[in-house]
Amino acid sequence: MKSGIAKRLLWSWRPESQREANDAIVKNMLLHWFPSTVTKRSLSFSYSFWLGTISAVLFVILSITGLILMFHYTPSMERAYPSMKDIDFATSYGWFLRGVHRVAAQLMVVSVFLHMMRVFYTGAYKKSPGKMGNRPRNWVVGIILLLLTLALSYTGYLLPMDQLAYWAMIIGANVAASVPFVGEHIKLALIGGTIIDQNALLRFYVLHCALLPIFMLVLMAYHMWRIRKDGGLACMDQVSLQHGMTDAVPASTKTYSLLGITSGIDIKVQAPSQMEEEDRILSSPNLVRRLWLVSLGTMAITILLAIYIQFPLEAPADPTMAPNPAKAPWYFLWLQELIADTTFTLAGMTVNGAFLGGIVIPSILLVWLVAVPYLDRTSAANCGIWFPRERLKQNIVFTVVILVIVALICVGAFCRGPSWVFYWPWEQWPELPVNF
Amino acid sequence: MTEEKTTGLSRRRFFKWVGGASLLAIGGQAFFFLRSCIPNVLYEPVKRIKVGLPNVFPQGHKFLSAFRIFVFKEEKGMHTVSCVCTHLGCNVQISEFSQPRKVKHGDEEVEETFEFVCPCHGSKFRADGTNYCGPAPTPLPHYKMEIAQDDGQVVVDKGEEVDKNARLKVEA
Repeated sequence: MKSGIAKRLLWSWRPESQREANDAIVKNMLLHWFPSTVTKRSLSFSYSFWLGTISAVLFVILSITGLILMFHYTPSMERAYPSMKDIDFATSYGWFLRGVHRVAAQLMVVSVFLHMMRVFYTGAYKKSPGKMGNRPRNWVVGIILLLLTLALSYTGYLLPMDQLAYWAMIIGANVAASVPFVGEHIKLALIGGTIIDQNALLRFYVLHCALLPIFMLVLMAYHMWRIRKDGGLACMDQVSLQHGMTDAVPASTKTYSLLGITSGIDIKVQAPSQMEEEDRILSSPNLVRRLWLVSLGTMAITILLAIYIQFPLEAPADPTMAPNPAKAPWYFLWLQELIADTTFTLAGMTVNGAFLGGIVIPSILLVWLVAVPYLDRTSAANCGIWFPRERLKQNIVFTVVILVIVALICVGAFCRGPSWVFYWPWEQWPELPVNF
Repeated sequence: MTEEKTTGLSRRRFFKWVGGASLLAIGGQAFFFLRSCIPNVLYEPVKRIKVGLPNVFPQGHKFLSAFRIFVFKEEKGMHTVSCVCTHLGCNVQISEFSQPRKVKHGDEEVEETFEFVCPCHGSKFRADGTNYCGPAPTPLPHYKMEIAQDDGQVVVDKGEEVDKNARLKVEA
């Protein structure tokens, strides 16, 4: 091991053996988050695309920029919009902080969603061969994290109190109110009144800045801890299977100290056919170096986008007139398309599209997503491989759902003109009377 | 050797009770928290409002944006239609026809010059507020109108819906 300047500054000692190197990782506060050794396969970019890590890095960027933005933003009906304008035009580098926050938020929606797709297509939610593993549970935690990401982005774009924010609050509150029996109570609890006013803004502010991020942090920690308890990424199951470790249970009754377990003498190492030494490489520097690269890459892309993309606010909230057409941000357009299309009348009873498209259909989708790992009966041999042949049926169903969502987003984004009338993208929208 | 006392509360049972009571206490406080979020007092604009003397209203319609209502004044009298879309609460707008259109209301055919259109999800309503196109599930409500006893102003009560044919008789 070469001893460079950083090594001489940060280390007082150099490991002499594999064992000492393992110990060194456990003894370091930052490194002990990682296993001391990893397999090359679970570091491979083409397997996981590092999407979970990218999401976590984006969350860190969002937390830091969000915290700084909290110094400049006032959650009051009078001051919210002007303070946003100040952030954009008066505060030094305010435009940069808000730009990074906004870009990172949108990227996080994308990366969390892609992460879910990756996990589905690799069957990584399947129960691992080891008895300790419970990947289905971690999939459910992941779904909650996706919901939290969406909730954070929704509450986030409500805060500037521009037209988008105001009408999104109205629509959100009324979707909640469309639930039978308890709807009106949910609406009251959500916006603290019957109209959009100070109560509503303050509630969404507290949700966005405190409650939801705390939930997110706790669940993220649990999500990552579970990956370790499940024996690493799902592709590790393939390694175990190759080595015939389907019953990886400690053979002996010998007890190990906590330190012994954390320093890498885990259940798999106890298994009858031990993992080959050449499969495993040290986390430091192999994992740490890649982690740095991914983090820096994520940050670089976020900053570049923040510099080159403008995010102008809409006009200040005007309770007397909604913009026409009033469109949600792109990742909610499929929901807007659903609530606009699903009002129906059956036997004299009219069901509001807000309830069917805004509550029932998304709930069915969610229940299906949560149930997927428990319904999927394909063998564990498909866990951790991209598009295994045996899972063709599941993958087709999942792909169709994704494509429908993408298609609805495209219709909402490109084919909806004033008054939500359908126009082809090349068609001219009619001119609207400005006064009415 | 003394005989072990087996009657009374066992250790296991005791802790089960303690655990149950703790869960109940936490659940109760969670309810308190949720209930506290539903306000008991609302500091919101009143629903019964004076909108001005009858003669300030022009023939045809006037949009009162602050109250989110359209006030109509026609030969038969005055009436008020809410501008809040019954789908998800956006403000509907009046879209005038270039040519008057014949529209069927039940059995009779009426000539109309405009309709209400919602910008958010494209619901459309006839001039009398009946929903006929798009996701809106119910008609736009009509509100009760009366003349104030003290100063003769028109009063709109947004808390009370009336039939779509109800009219407030006023002297032109």
